[in-house]
Amino acid sequence: MTDQTHTPTRQSRTYSSLMLIAAFCSLSAWGQDAPKDGVYKDRIDWGVLMDMSGPTSASQGIWVNGFRDYMRKINEAGGINGRKINVLAEDNRFNPATDKIAFEKLVNQTPVIAISGMGSSVSQVALAPTIKAGKVPIVGTYTATKALSEPVTPMVYNGFCGYKQMAQAGVGYHVDKVKLKSPKVVTLAIETAGGKEYHDYVAEAVSKFGGSATHLTVKVTAVDMTPQILEIMKIKPDFITVYGVSNTAILLMKGLSQYGLKIPTFGITYLGAPQMFQSMGGEAAANYKFISCFTPGGADQTPGNKALSLYADTIGRDEMKQDINYVAGWITGQMAAEALSKLGKNPTRARLIESLSKGFKVDTKGLTAPFSYSPTNNSGPVVFKLFGYDFAVNKFKAYGEFADYEKYTR
Amino acid sequence: MFEQVFFSGLALGSIYGLVALGFAVIFKATDVFNFAQGMFVVCGAYFAVTAMSILQLPFPLAILFIVGAAALLGVLIHMVLIQPLSGRPMLSVIMLTIALSIALRSIIEMVFGPQGRSLTTPLPTGVLMLGSVRISYLHLTAALVSWVCMAGFGLFFKFTSVGLLMRASADNHEAAVVSGVNVNTMNRLAWGIGSTLAAVGGLFLGQLQIASTELEGIGLLALPAVVIGGMQSIPGAIVGGLLVGIIEQMASTYISPKSSDIVIYVLLLLILMVRPWGLFGQRELGRV
Repeated sequence: MTDQTHTPTRQSRTYSSLMLIAAFCSLSAWGQDAPKDGVYKDRIDWGVLMDMSGPTSASQGIWVNGFRDYMRKINEAGGINGRKINVLAEDNRFNPATDKIAFEKLVNQTPVIAISGMGSSVSQVALAPTIKAGKVPIVGTYTATKALSEPVTPMVYNGFCGYKQMAQAGVGYHVDKVKLKSPKVVTLAIETAGGKEYHDYVAEAVSKFGGSATHLTVKVTAVDMTPQILEIMKIKPDFITVYGVSNTAILLMKGLSQYGLKIPTFGITYLGAPQMFQSMGGEAAANYKFISCFTPGGADQTPGNKALSLYADTIGRDEMKQDINYVAGWITGQMAAEALSKLGKNPTRARLIESLSKGFKVDTKGLTAPFSYSPTNNSGPVVFKLFGYDFAVNKFKAYGEFADYEKYTR
Repeated sequence: MFEQVFFSGLALGSIYGLVALGFAVIFKATDVFNFAQGMFVVCGAYFAVTAMSILQLPFPLAILFIVGAAALLGVLIHMVLIQPLSGRPMLSVIMLTIALSIALRSIIEMVFGPQGRSLTTPLPTGVLMLGSVRISYLHLTAALVSWVCMAGFGLFFKFTSVGLLMRASADNHEAAVVSGVNVNTMNRLAWGIGSTLAAVGGLFLGQLQIASTELEGIGLLALPAVVIGGMQSIPGAIVGGLLVGIIEQMASTYISPKSSDIVIYVLLLLILMVRPWGLFGQRELGRV
């Protein structure tokens, strides 16, 4: 009785041992897929570092949705070279300390082949030396900082519209349109380092036309802009440009309307959500545009925009697709997918870096002007155009084509 | 220019005063320093979005919905979270209100998504000219509603029996219990009133700007207002709010926007040093 029970136990132990050895062998084989680089037999892990529940989640969270949706579309079509893309999105809550921990996690703990996003400029500056000396490329940054992108490094590829080009294109268009000779411009910006940097770019662009720019500041938490409006009334600018959060632009346009001022105004790319225009109302929004290197979903009928709109509508993102952050995330997803597809059957971090560093083109089929990266240029999208809002159809409308604006930034 | 800035500060301060009043009511009744007051403002804005844009209620019904939902929220928070911590150290309750604020933000973002929502109401949006002073009707309405609320609650506390019971509970908890006052009901009422006042502030802020979780920071400007006016003083909260609004606008105009924070907090520090119980608060004497 005892033997009868022992014998099968021994057999099962032997069987279990064999199973373990087999499992170990299969794990070893699995290991050949470079798990340290986030590459597995059936999937590739791609990291995203963004603020998904902190103070900037209203814009960065939408970017993450755009990125995820593009990858979802790719996965539904079978993935890339037989592997699905698994997006590991880490929420940094716009906190540099959290960002550092999340970055280390994506590099070592749950390794990924590359990272996208990095929406905090403070974190970018803090992590710049680590990223530049590291092994994980940043493909498609949400914001560009000099610390991370200058000098050009094969580890970083900007994926969002740059402030310098926003200033150049916006100023150039307004000066040309009204044929101004020495334009007077006001930069209204929230009190941050980025606001000052943007104003410097505006001042530089305006000075090329012999004009001058005045820097007015406002608090992020402002509820009223009377002091700024009174200052604008004194300056009498030809046009205004806004840098800040959505409330900055809303309060400015409502304030201008309250004082009966009809001064053309353009906001930076981040200030291009449909809710902002709706909140301003038709009258106040009539003089407001935003400058963008991306076309909002549904704003035109280019093949790229049609594809985005169709997919977004299918998955219930019909409102979100109009948000410029969604489009930016979608395009970064495209950049990531195209970069991976060039690596063939055996992608690794090293091969990705090597492939990217040779330069590559991104054709978004009309969602942006075509843009490319080279060993000496990682700026990403640099051609812009202005968008306003058509209240009759509740859609964005473009002012001209990307080609009309190329002269300002190229 | 001075008149224009002064009036815009007054309008702005009225909204701060309204939120500060809610803060003071809660503190006076329950001794809880409510760090979630800013999120109550946000909740008010989103209740308005729900009523106006999602449910598409007629405006009077929408107002009832906002007030009812906000009051219910305050009462529930007291019943479920604050009351069980009764008698615990102040730090536990403060930590709870901070946690509550974070949880409310996450819930709002989960339910409504991370994007802000535009809030449109039938409230007037034109401009009223008073000599050379331009005042937007929306600011004016916000100020008027704030003053009506402040006056209404002032009268409520002074002349109604429930107001009297609430003041009694706040002034001496034990004596109120001995006298047969249901202190828990009074405290729930205080939380209901506090969250309703913040929600009314949120309704206006949501329309002046956009309904988003970023309104929390504006709601928290009520904190210096209530400390300046006196933590336990109803008129103090109102005057504190008005002062913060006027100082903010004056400093922004004549110095720089950043300086408004400095001026407000320097005033707050001075008051804490010279008169720690605030401009309208009552000095508490303790026996050694």
